[in-house]
Amino acid sequence: MKKIGWIVLLMISLLVFTTMAEQITLRYWMWDPSIKAKVQAAVGRFESIHPNIKVELTTIEPRDYWTKLRIMASTNKLPDVFNMSSGYIEEWSANGLLLDIQKYVDTDLKISDYFASLFNMAKYPKGTGDIYALPFAWVTPVLFFNKTAFDKAGLSYPDENWNWFDFLNAAEKLTIVEKGKVKRWGFWLYGRYANVEPWIYRDGGHLLSPDKKRFAPDKNAIETMEFLTKLVTTYKVAPMKKDMTGVRSQDVFPLGMAAMWVDGSWNIENNRSLIGNKFKWGIAPVPVGPHGSKKILYAWPDMIAISAKTAHPEEAWELAKFMSGPGLTMNMYMAGKIPSYKPLADSAAFLEKGKQPSEKGILLQLGKDEMVNSFTKGWSEWRGYGAAEGLGLNGALDAVMNGEMSFQEAMQKVTSYANRVLSRYYK
Amino acid sequence: MNYKITREIIIYSILIIFAIIMIFPFLWMFINSFNTEQNIFKIPPSFIPDKLFKPGMFDNYETVLSQYHFLRYTFNSIFVSFSAAFGQIITCSLAGFAFARMNFKGKNILFGLLLSTMMIPIQVTIIPEFLLMMKLGWLDTYLPLIVPSFLVGSFGTFLLKEFYENVPKDLEDAAVIDGAGPFKLYWSVFLPLGKTPLATLFIIAFMNNWNALLRPILYISSDNLMTLPMALTQFQSQYGARWNLLLTGSFLAVIPLFIVYLFMQRYMVEGITHTGLKG
Amino acid sequence: MPPFSNLRGGFLKKGLKWYRPWHAWVFILPALLGLFVFRLGPIIFAFFMSFTHWDIFSPPDWVGFSNYAEMFSDPTFWTMLKNTFIFSGIYVPSVMVIGLVLAVLVNQKFRGVNTFRAIFFSPVVTSAVAIGLVWGWLLSPKYGLLNNFLQLFNVAGPSWLGDPKWALMSIAFVMTWKMAGYYMILFLAGLQDIPVVLYEASRIDGATPKQTFWHVTLPLLSPTTFFVLIIAIIDSFRNFQIIYTMTRGGPGVSSTTLVYSIYQNAFVFYRMGYASAIAYVLLAIVGGITLANFYLKKRWVKYQS
Repeated sequence: MKKIGWIVLLMISLLVFTTMAEQITLRYWMWDPSIKAKVQAAVGRFESIHPNIKVELTTIEPRDYWTKLRIMASTNKLPDVFNMSSGYIEEWSANGLLLDIQKYVDTDLKISDYFASLFNMAKYPKGTGDIYALPFAWVTPVLFFNKTAFDKAGLSYPDENWNWFDFLNAAEKLTIVEKGKVKRWGFWLYGRYANVEPWIYRDGGHLLSPDKKRFAPDKNAIETMEFLTKLVTTYKVAPMKKDMTGVRSQDVFPLGMAAMWVDGSWNIENNRSLIGNKFKWGIAPVPVGPHGSKKILYAWPDMIAISAKTAHPEEAWELAKFMSGPGLTMNMYMAGKIPSYKPLADSAAFLEKGKQPSEKGILLQLGKDEMVNSFTKGWSEWRGYGAAEGLGLNGALDAVMNGEMSFQEAMQKVTSYANRVLSRYYK
Repeated sequence: MNYKITREIIIYSILIIFAIIMIFPFLWMFINSFNTEQNIFKIPPSFIPDKLFKPGMFDNYETVLSQYHFLRYTFNSIFVSFSAAFGQIITCSLAGFAFARMNFKGKNILFGLLLSTMMIPIQVTIIPEFLLMMKLGWLDTYLPLIVPSFLVGSFGTFLLKEFYENVPKDLEDAAVIDGAGPFKLYWSVFLPLGKTPLATLFIIAFMNNWNALLRPILYISSDNLMTLPMALTQFQSQYGARWNLLLTGSFLAVIPLFIVYLFMQRYMVEGITHTGLKG
Repeated sequence: MPPFSNLRGGFLKKGLKWYRPWHAWVFILPALLGLFVFRLGPIIFAFFMSFTHWDIFSPPDWVGFSNYAEMFSDPTFWTMLKNTFIFSGIYVPSVMVIGLVLAVLVNQKFRGVNTFRAIFFSPVVTSAVAIGLVWGWLLSPKYGLLNNFLQLFNVAGPSWLGDPKWALMSIAFVMTWKMAGYYMILFLAGLQDIPVVLYEASRIDGATPKQTFWHVTLPLLSPTTFFVLIIAIIDSFRNFQIIYTMTRGGPGVSSTTLVYSIYQNAFVFYRMGYASAIAYVLLAIVGGITLANFYLKKRWVKYQS
C-alpha cells in the first residue's frame, strides 16, 4: 500500500509540474522608457491575474523603437505584443505583420467602454477593413491660450463657438508692438502636422484624395493653409519660423513669446513645467473654419498590436486587452494624452482639478466627435517628420511663412513631391 | 628695432583675436551654466550670470547630474574610445611594421586597397555594417562601437609604415644577429622606437571615437550604454529651450576630454608635427 | 632620423632573412580582417543593395537601376548634391587658409606659443554635438549673442540657421571653426620641415618676409598642402554630426547634404536600397576628386631637392 501511495504522490507531482511547465512567456515592447516602472507594475498585476503567463517587458527610446522593431520583423522575431503608432499601422498591417484581432474585438470587448471612433483608425484597409490593433491612448491638437494676456487685453476666452474671425481679432489684439518691435506675438505656428491639420479638418478640408493614396488638398484645405500662412505674412500676428530658431517650437508659448498656439494636447506637461505660476493659461477647441463643422476632430490613437506570428494569440490578446484599458493607471499618461478606455478617462484623476489648464474636460467632449487623420505609408517623408522635418509639406509651409516662396509655388512644389513619394508606396 | 616691436604687437593681436574666437563658445557655455532660464532669454544677453556666487549657483549642475547619468556616459565614452584607440595602435603598428619591413606577395595591392578605403565616408558602409552587426547580434552592446575602429586603421597604418620605413636597416640587422625573430623585432625594437607616433595615433583615434555620433545613435539604445555625444543629443531634444541646462550639459561633456587633452597636449601637437605627416 | 647614424655596422650589406612569408600575413591579419569585413565587404554589399528596394521588413527586391533613375530625376537629389558641393566649396578653402594662417603665426618662437597652439586646437577635441549646441544658441536670431552684437553696429543679422540662404554657410562656418586647429597642426608639421637654411638664404638675398612666404614657404609647403587638401575634401563630406545637431537638414532641404540624406533615407524612411545608391554617388564623387588630385599633383606639388 505504501508503494501505491508513493506512486500516487509521484503522479500528482508530475501533473503539477507539467501544468507549471505550461507556463508561457510573452514578450512585450513599448516605446516609453520614462514610465517603465509603472508599466512594469501593470505587467505584474497582469501576471498575478494570469499566473500561467509571464511577460518580458522591453522599453525602447522612441527614436530607436521603429528601427529595432523592423529588424525584429525582418528576422521573424517580433515580440508577441508591441506598441503601434497611427503613422505605421497601415504599412505594418499591409505587410501581414499584425494579427487580425477583429474576432476578439467582436466577442471579447465592450466597445462602449472605449472612444469608439478610435477603432476606425486601427483598421486595414483604412477605415473599412478589420481591426489590427487596440488603441490605448489618443491625442488631438487644441488651442492653448494665455489667460493672463486675454484678461489684460479685455478679451473673452475662446470656446467651441470660436470662428476664424474671433481668432484673428484676438490674435491682433494680443500682438504687442513696442518701438517698432514685436514684444509678444498673438499666435505661434509653423508647418508641422499638429499645428496645421486640425485647422484644415475643422474647415471641412482634406489633404488627401478620397482613396487616401494621393496628396490632393481640396479647396477648403487650400483656403485653410492660405489663411494660416497669412497670419504670418499678411496679418503679422505670428512670427516667422526662421526668427524663432534656437527656441524649440513647443517652448514658444510657455515662454510667453506668443499668447496663443495650436498643438497636440500632449504639450500640457511641458507647459506646466515651463510656465509654472508665471501666467494663467487654458485650452480650447481649435476654431472652426467658414466651411467646417465642430463635429470633426483631427486626432489619432496610440495602439497595441499583436504579432501575426505569435505562438500564443489568446494570451497575447489578454495582455493587449489588459494593457490598453483595465490594466492602466492615469499616471502612465502624460497629462495631455487621453486614455482610450472611458472608465479611466472619465475618472476624476484625468481632470486633475486644481492644476492648469482647468478645461481638461473639453478633451473628453471632443472625443465624442468624428475623428479623422491623414496618415499614409511614407507619411514622414511627404509630411516631414523627425530627422527629416525640413521636408515635404513642413518645408513648403515654412518657406511660405518665411516669405521665401509664394503660396502657389509652394503648393505646386509640395504636391509634386508628395505624390512622387506616395506613388512609390501606392502603385 | 621699432619695426620688430610693431610686428610683434600685430602678431600678438591677431593671435589674441583668434584665441578669443576659439575660446569664447566654451566660455559662453560656462557662463550660462550659472544662469536661470529668465536670464538666458534677456535682450541684450547679459555676461554676468544671475546665479553666480549666489545661493543655488550650482542648481543647473545638480539638475543635469541628477537627471542624466553623466558619470556613466563619461565612463562609456572613455571605455569605448580607449578600447578602440588601443586596438588601432595594435592593428596599425603590426600592419605598418609588415608593410615597411617585409616583402610579400600582393603587398602593394593590399596597401593600395587599404589607403583607398581611407577616403570612403562611413555613411557609405554604415548600412551593410549595421546589417552585419545585427546578424552578429551585437546591437545594443559596446562591440559595434569598438570592433570596427579597432580593426580599421588606414590612416594609422600609413602613418606607421612611413615611420618604420625611416628606421635604418642596421638597427634591424643588429637585432636579427642577436637572434631576434620577427615578433621580438617588432616588440622590442620597433614598437619602443615608435612611441611618439603611436601616442599621436592613439590620441587621434581616441578623439575620433570620443566624438563619434552616427554609430552610437544607430547601435545603442540602452541608457546605460550611451556615450556622451549621444546623451547630449537626447538631452537636446528633451530640454529644448532650457539653454542653461543644455549648455551646462555641454560644458560637462566637454570637460573630460579637455583634461585628457591638457595632459597629452605635447603628444597631440608635437606628435603630429614630428611624425612625418607630410604626404 | 639622425639618432641611428652611430649604429652603422656596415657588415650586413644584404640584410638577413629573418622572416618567412607567413610572418607578414600574421602581422597584417588584424588589418586585413578590418579591411575585408568592415570596409570592402560593406562597400561591395552596398553596391548590390543599391540595385534593390528594401524596407527591412521583407526580403530585398532586385529593381535594377530604378533607384539611380529615381535619384537622377528627383530635383531634391540635385539640390542636395549642390549643397554638398557648396559646403565643400566653402569649407575646404576656408579651413585651409585659416589653418595655414594659424600655422604660420604659431610657427614662431615667442612666449606662450604653446598656449596659443593649445587654444586653437581645443575645438578639435570637443564633441561636435556640444559645439553644435553652443553655436546653435550663439547664432539664434533674436536671443543669440552674434545678432545682438551686430545690433550694436545697427546691423540686423539674419536668422543664421533658419534662413535657407544662410543655413548651409553657418554650418560650414561652425565646422571650419571646429577643425581649423587640426589643419593648423598639419601645416605646422610641414612648416617645421622646411630647412632653416633656405629662409636664411632668402634673407641674405634681400627678400622681404612677404616675398619669402610666397616664393619659399608656399612652394616648399606644397606636398603638405596636397596632403591637407585631400584630407580636407574627405573631411568636408563628413558633416553629419553638426547638421544633425544644428539644423536636421533644414530649413527645407537647404542644409541637407548627401551624407545627411543617406542617414534620412536609411534610418528614417527605411529605404535602404535608395540610401545605398546615394552612398555610391558620394563614393564616386570622393573617389573622383581624390584621383583627380593625384593626377594633378605633378603640376603643382614641388618636392625639396
